[in-house]
This record gives sequence, C-alpha cells and structure tokens, in this order.
Amino acid sequence: MNQNPGSFRDPFGYIYEQNDFIFRTILSPAIKQYEAIRDEGLIQESIEQGFLIESKELTSSTAPAELNEAEYVIKHKKIPFISYPYEWSFYQLKTAALHHLKFELFLLDRGALLRDASAYNIQFVGTKPIFIDLLSIAPYNEGDYWLGHRQFCEQFLNPLLLRSLKGITHFSWYRGNLEGISAIDLYKVMSLKDKLSWKLFLHVSMQARLNSSVISKPDEAEAKAKVRKPLPKSAYKALVNQLYSWIEKLEPKDKSKTVWGDYAKHNTYLDDEVKEKHEVIFNFSNQNKPTKLIDLGCNSGDYSITALQGGAASVIGYDFDSNAIDIAFKRSRAQQLPFLPLHLDAANPSPNQGWMQTERQGFKERAKADAVIALAFIHHLAIGKNIPLNQAIQWITDIAPSGLIEFVPKDDETVCHMLALREDIFVDYTEENFIKVLSEKNKILRATQVSLSGRKIFEFSRIY
Amino acid sequence: MFLSLSNLKFLVFTLGILSYASPAFAYLDPGTGSMLLQGLIAGIAVFTSVLSIYWQKVKSFFVKQKTDISTGTNKDIDT
Repeated sequence: MNQNPGSFRDPFGYIYEQNDFIFRTILSPAIKQYEAIRDEGLIQESIEQGFLIESKELTSSTAPAELNEAEYVIKHKKIPFISYPYEWSFYQLKTAALHHLKFELFLLDRGALLRDASAYNIQFVGTKPIFIDLLSIAPYNEGDYWLGHRQFCEQFLNPLLLRSLKGITHFSWYRGNLEGISAIDLYKVMSLKDKLSWKLFLHVSMQARLNSSVISKPDEAEAKAKVRKPLPKSAYKALVNQLYSWIEKLEPKDKSKTVWGDYAKHNTYLDDEVKEKHEVIFNFSNQNKPTKLIDLGCNSGDYSITALQGGAASVIGYDFDSNAIDIAFKRSRAQQLPFLPLHLDAANPSPNQGWMQTERQGFKERAKADAVIALAFIHHLAIGKNIPLNQAIQWITDIAPSGLIEFVPKDDETVCHMLALREDIFVDYTEENFIKVLSEKNKILRATQVSLSGRKIFEFSRIY
Repeated sequence: MFLSLSNLKFLVFTLGILSYASPAFAYLDPGTGSMLLQGLIAGIAVFTSVLSIYWQKVKSFFVKQKTDISTGTNKDIDT
C-alpha cells in the first residue's frame, strides 16, 4: 500500500491508496479531536449534507493489516479525477471557495470549525465540490480565531480578486506558487480605487500591512499575536459571512473577451458540417461507452456534452482559453453533468511539483482515460507551437487507447490565418504524413470528412 | 465630484496606513498577520458590543420617555 506523496504535512494522519479506495489513518495526536466530532455525529451529518466525502471508519478486523499502528483507519472512495486549483476555471475556484465557507458556517453552528483552508482539500466530481480532508474538522472553543483565514485569502480570495479586479488569470501565478497569492503581492497590483474598497482594505491591505509589520518588527508582532484577545463567535461568523457574500458576487473582469469562447457561434464551419461532427462524436462515444473520456480543446463543451449523450460516463475537458472553460463550467454545473472542464496549455502541461516534486502530480500522470478526442486541436500544437507532428500525435494517443483526432489541412481557413504572417516551415504537416505517423502504433478505424475544406476526423485504436 | 468629509477621512487614513516598506523574509508564522488582524477585529467587536449595550440603554430611556408621554403618565411601563 502506497502512502500518497501529497500527504505528509499533517502529523494527525496520512493517506494511503489501494485500488479504488483511499485509506486515511488517524494517529494518536488526533484521537481526541476525531472522537469529539465523530461522537457529536458531525462527520455523518457533513456527509449527508454533501459537504464531506463519504467516510467509513473501519474496525481492527476490516482495516488493512499494514496500517495497524494507526488508532483509527477511515476508508473513502477514490475521487475519479484529481485536479488542482491552478487548473480550475474562475467559476470552479469560486465554487470551491463558497463550498469551503459554507462548510465552515455549517460547522460553526454545530460547535466545530475547519483547522485550515487549503484549496487542495476540495476536489470535484463533475462540477460538484467535495471536501476531502476529514482531519481538518476540529471542535470550536469560545474565542477561537479563524486559523485558516490567511490561507483562505491566499488560496481562494486573492486569485479570484486578481481576475476580478485586473482581468489576470490565476493559473500561472498559482502554479508557480502552490500556496496561492499572498496579500502583500496582491496589494502591489491594486489601484488606488481598489484600495478604497472597505472589503479589500480589511482582507488584503490590512493583512498585507500587518504581515509587513510582522516582518519588520517580529518580536513586537509575536508578543501582540500571543495576547489573543478572544474573538467572539459572532465576529468569526461575520468574517466568514462577509467573505461569502462578497465572493458570491465576484465575476471575471475580462468576461466578454475570448480567444475561442464564441467559437461555437462564429466558427469557420457551416451548420451541416457541425452536425456531421457531432454525429461522429456521438457514434464513437456510443460504440465505445468510455467510463472516462478526455476532450482536448473542449472549448465551451459542445462536443464534450455530445460525448456524454452518446454514452460516455464522464468527461474531463481541457482548454487553454479561460473564458471558454468558464462558460463550460457554468454550463456543466447548471445541467449537473459529469463533465469537468479544466485549464491546460498543451505545450506546457502541469508538471510534477511541490515537495520532492511528487506532492502534486503532473498532467501526464493523471490524464489517463478510456478515450480521448482532439478536435480542431492538433494544428494549434503543430503549427501554433512548432511541435513536430509525430510528437503531437504521440502525446495525444498516450492519453487513451482509443479516440478521435481531427486533422485540419493547410488549405483550411483557420490554418491559413495561422500561416498568414509567417513562413510555412511545416513541410511534414500533411494528411499523408499524419496518417503515416498515426498508423505506426494505432489502427485507423475510419476517417470522416467533416468540412468542405477537407477537415477529417480519424478514429484510432492503439495496437498492443 | 467632491469627496464627503467621511470619505476624505477614510482616504487619508488609508493612504497613511498603506505607505509602508517592502518586506524581507519572514521568520514568524505566516499566519501572524491574520492573527493580528483578527485581534483588531476582536477588539472592535468587544468595543461595539459594549457600545451597543450603552446604546440600548440610551434608546430604551428615550423609548420609555416617549411611551410615558403618550400614555400621559410618569410611571415606568415595567413597574
């Protein structure tokens, strides 16, 4: 049984993986806390209310023998797909933030609280957020501070504000600093107008100011912080409530601008061609019924939804365009679909990173599926990013044993635009070569022309 | 556009509190700033709750006075 490499920070317990299950150990320092919340029925109630992942306490006879040193062992079902906040769309991060705050309020009303506010403690099943760290729940004592406030601001609030105030997406910054965005850093990009907002003043400017005073006069700050004037519960709740109603109203500043966002409306296809394309995807999905399908270049989710209608049990979509995945997420959430759109720069996917470079897994390690579709995608890699065609094909076909890849020829309007101002150095970018490379490790089952310009969708199946 | 007096006060206060030097590396717990902020909030919360107790007293004094006038008596309603 392997210990999850991301589980090392909290000495209260660790995570182990086996097949489709997660085993969480609860070690001696955490017994009192765990028993208190369990005996209050809080774990059960949190699960029933949809806040917490399903958790079952095992007995010494049912717990895996290797974990017998633990005081308790909890069994969870594995989340079907792990994603990280630096891959989440604005609305996904917002949904996670609101889930966290709602859970905190729910617990406060029942004499408990959350010990931290890590965004990594929230995972998604489809677009439904779920809290996965049972050991973050602890009993509340009168006067307690909101210990997760700083972390909440860094991992949820500040990345959302960056987009909401400045129109800057959080992906790169968050991926670069896995702890999120500090108040001191965000403060530096705020305008005078931003600084005059009362809420920004309280949660960003004041925190930045106080953090700076901690750094310049550590002894004084430490002495002051140690006094710990008790925080009335009403003030604790007011802080959480204020953040909730604020975040609920946050919207991206650059909402209307998009690279491919309105692609579905203004694309270079004719309506019949779009219909044809949907049919190819529907039939593929219907014949293969994949449990998990990955849609590379999912845009606002049109074809992901067709794949679901065809019979795919779940779809993970990826797109580079932040507005497209914002729309896709909202759409999927409104219809409660098992479709999760995430951010991906295919030329620079999420790496293995964090402590020991194993704490957070890379794209390659996680993006494994039964089927992959890459429609109107490969030319963005091959021509947009100068990636050799054979490497682009290899990368896509490594994701799943079967799938669809659309080849967009050079005569197509989109590719013409891409080459309009640059020299055509892509001698290998031909349909003939595409077929040759794809056939090296795969069987081509069919090719369907889907546009007058000669776009073709190739269905492949890996040869073992 | 003119700033009201309260906005102006807030502006001056904000500008004052926000002009500070760049930080170096921190050796204290990174949550200390948030703890200090909550300490301030705790102080304000206590202050406002004390204030609200006094305010209630003042308010009830006037409410009683008013009731007294309307009923035409000088007696306290509770007695």
